[in-house]
Amino acid sequence: MIRFQLNNNPVDVDVDPDTPLLWVVRDHFKLKGSKFGCGMGLCGACTMHMNGAAVRTCTLPVAAVQGASITTIEGLGTPDKLHPLQQAWVEHSVPQCGYCQSGQLMSASALLATNPNPSDADIDTAMNGNICRCGTYGKIKLAIKAGAQAINSATVQTFDPRAVETQS
Amino acid sequence: MNKVSLTRRKFLLSTGIAATGLIVGCSVTRANEIGYSTVAGAFEPNSFIQITSDSEVIFYLPNNEMGQGILDGLTTLIAEELRVEPGAIDVRHAQRHEDYTNPEMGMQATGGSNAVRGQFLPLRQAAANAAAAVRNAAAQQLNVAADKIVLVNGMVDVDGKRYPYGQFASLAATLPVPENATLRSAEQFDQIGRERPRLDALAKSTGTALFGIDAEVDDLLRAVVVRSPVIGASLISFDATEARKQSGVVAVLEIRNGVAVVAESYWQARKAAALVDIQWSKTELSSWSSDTLYEKFVETLNDTSQKGLECCNEGEGGSLLENSAIVAVADYYAPYLAHATMEPMNCTVQIDGDRCAIYVGTQSVQVSAGAAVYYGDFDADKVAMHPAFLGGGFGRRVIGDDVAEAVVIAKQTGRNIQVVWSREDDMTADFYRPAALVRMQAGVSEQGVIETWAVRRVGPNTMNYVLDEWVDALAPDFLNKRFVNWLSKFPHSLFNRFVADPSSGDGIYTDYDTANKAVYHVTQDPGLRTGFWRSVGNSSNAFFKESFIDELAHRVGMDEVQFRLANMQKNPRLKKATELAAAKANWGQPLPAGHFHGLATHSSFGSAVAQIAEVSIENNTIVVHRVTAAIDCGMVVNPGIVRDQVEGGIIYGLTAALYGEVTLRDGVVQETNFHTYPMLRMAQAPTVDVHIVDSQEHPEGVGEPGLPPIAPAVANAIFKATGQRLRTLPLKLS
Ligand code: FES
Ligand code: FES
Repeated sequence: MIRFQLNNNPVDVDVDPDTPLLWVVRDHFKLKGSKFGCGMGLCGACTMHMNGAAVRTCTLPVAAVQGASITTIEGLGTPDKLHPLQQAWVEHSVPQCGYCQSGQLMSASALLATNPNPSDADIDTAMNGNICRCGTYGKIKLAIKAGAQAINSATVQTFDPRAVETQS
Repeated sequence: MNKVSLTRRKFLLSTGIAATGLIVGCSVTRANEIGYSTVAGAFEPNSFIQITSDSEVIFYLPNNEMGQGILDGLTTLIAEELRVEPGAIDVRHAQRHEDYTNPEMGMQATGGSNAVRGQFLPLRQAAANAAAAVRNAAAQQLNVAADKIVLVNGMVDVDGKRYPYGQFASLAATLPVPENATLRSAEQFDQIGRERPRLDALAKSTGTALFGIDAEVDDLLRAVVVRSPVIGASLISFDATEARKQSGVVAVLEIRNGVAVVAESYWQARKAAALVDIQWSKTELSSWSSDTLYEKFVETLNDTSQKGLECCNEGEGGSLLENSAIVAVADYYAPYLAHATMEPMNCTVQIDGDRCAIYVGTQSVQVSAGAAVYYGDFDADKVAMHPAFLGGGFGRRVIGDDVAEAVVIAKQTGRNIQVVWSREDDMTADFYRPAALVRMQAGVSEQGVIETWAVRRVGPNTMNYVLDEWVDALAPDFLNKRFVNWLSKFPHSLFNRFVADPSSGDGIYTDYDTANKAVYHVTQDPGLRTGFWRSVGNSSNAFFKESFIDELAHRVGMDEVQFRLANMQKNPRLKKATELAAAKANWGQPLPAGHFHGLATHSSFGSAVAQIAEVSIENNTIVVHRVTAAIDCGMVVNPGIVRDQVEGGIIYGLTAALYGEVTLRDGVVQETNFHTYPMLRMAQAPTVDVHIVDSQEHPEGVGEPGLPPIAPAVANAIFKATGQRLRTLPLKLS
């Protein structure tokens, strides 16, 4: 039995321990937002957060997340309560086919959590593991910057010390 | 009764499956709720639109959304004429029905960048008729003259008093629907041409958009298929003893193209599949490797006793070539390519006795449904289609081979089945962009007039493999199976021996004013199946044509922009696009040290595109900094989507230009995943500026035309940077 936090809920699962987390989340917990693209850690479609860091879950055995906190795109935000990056994604019409975008958003949100003002080079490095076959890279970069700005200005405007803390 | 209501009645009959509880339309903009083809009390003027008594406006999207923005584009056409906000329309994927036939293709399919072009008038007419019907019903119900009524934002407005459309739905349903209501004029457009976020962005930014792979039904088993490493080889024998012992494995069975391993979970099926030991037959393809094939192409190119099939022969053909002051000859090569859609192929089948429901992302609901009928032996009216978003199509998802496997496994096991292809499966069992070796020849006057244009092309064709699959999937509607089997062998002999496959010559001779042209194609096909790959023949032919044109400009000693403009007097759209791109890129002005501009221009799918690539060479690596593109695609429905499609086409084409190559060893495709078939990533992606030529002409294609010019634009810049003329794709510096 493997226990972990999935989008802040405690869950447990009894599957072959070498099963990649991606398939456990998609087919056992039926959260379909995270995608399968390559199965080799090469494309980033399956990206989730493990204890806040972006990880490729198609090669991550579920046994390795015992006790960890996992966040998927469903935990990042919802259509009614968007994460600022998702808001920027919608405003800038980032997605084309959309298949890579959950992974892109998870990589981008992990970046902003540790680096609220990323340079172009920081963005290139953080997003290097995410392929977009439709070629939305220019828009992704634009939206990451817009999202970062929205987060930073919201933080400054409210002067809520807890918000500052969670953003940093 | 008018034609529309007759068809409508047929439609209701054929989707009688709704009564059994199977889903017939899936809402795509509203969190993927499930919808039905009929809503009590709704006004249903045609197969595209429903207005419910709650004022819900539902639009059944006849084309498939694969990233190209057609959901947005076609919904905008409806919104424009129906006078509702696009975002207020509930868009659902259309079922399989002849009313959703693509007007240009004659089948229910999405491809050829023709959806907006083909639907621009029919869908607006359907919506305008519906709007007129609402107006008539409102006039009657409110007892006012119809001309006192203004339709605004989903409301009937009479002297400032507003009533939602739904109040008139039930009366409208009883009145005749006008057939030729007046369409809004271009000056009146307030939705068409408007820049706003695309409608599917929210679902696709929150993980709530459903793709084929996300289908989930009760008691769903997962299947993995082990296919022959040499595509088309047949199974001689297999040993699944070990595979059957693995945890979760439910069944291992032989299907028409391999062995299917069915298990409780994907991972169990995938692991067990690796343990199946299979003996495969040898085929003709097994005897080919990329180097031997290339040698054969060269031999055939040089063997002029093989004249080939005529793609074009105008004026004196190639016979006057030697009369020109400047005669240029150069050979070019482009390799096989895989599609590598981001979502690997997959299909889910729910089976219930003699009925089935198919969940799949497809470019042709008709082909997919036909594949279920033909391979699963279902009656056509017992197959319910649940089309989903496509995680990329690019021409790969028009075939139906995904459905064929899944229905056979579901039928044989009697269980609900999802077949998921691995990336390796997807890349090694594709329908590839055909390779081609060409000899370009031109005669040019000293003043720079192209007098003769002669091309000899060697390689496989495209249509034969696709038609082969389509015949199986499309014919069973009206033909018996033995005849279909016989017919499906036909496309090969047709395109390889008798008539030139139009896709082989696509775009290689059409852009420039040359009095004498000859293009011949000699079929040389090792048997690796081929298919439509974003922009089809244009994807390689534009590289050949535009690199060679550049060679001619340099030979004549003319500026590349001026040489092209001088030779495209009869091509005003391409001329405009070229002038616009040159102006926006500051062509001819100084660039940063070590940076060079390369130009390419190409028309395809009705649109004209010019691109200028700014390139430098760093550590012997090609770096593309910026691409300035101009497109004339006629009238624009959503400018943001046009720009995104051109940019997307550039990135897709640049990936191919810099890295793309599918190779064979003993008939086996060697590229298996993104480490051996690399993709352009963010750090390598150039800044792309797209400029749209202002036009009031009928809209043309945008999904594909952005791709063809990029490879030659980059190659032409490399020539200026290094003096190396790279005539082989992918582009590699020596
Ligand atoms: S599916 Fe995990 S990186 Fe590609
Ligand atoms: S939007 Fe299609 S792969 Fe990124």
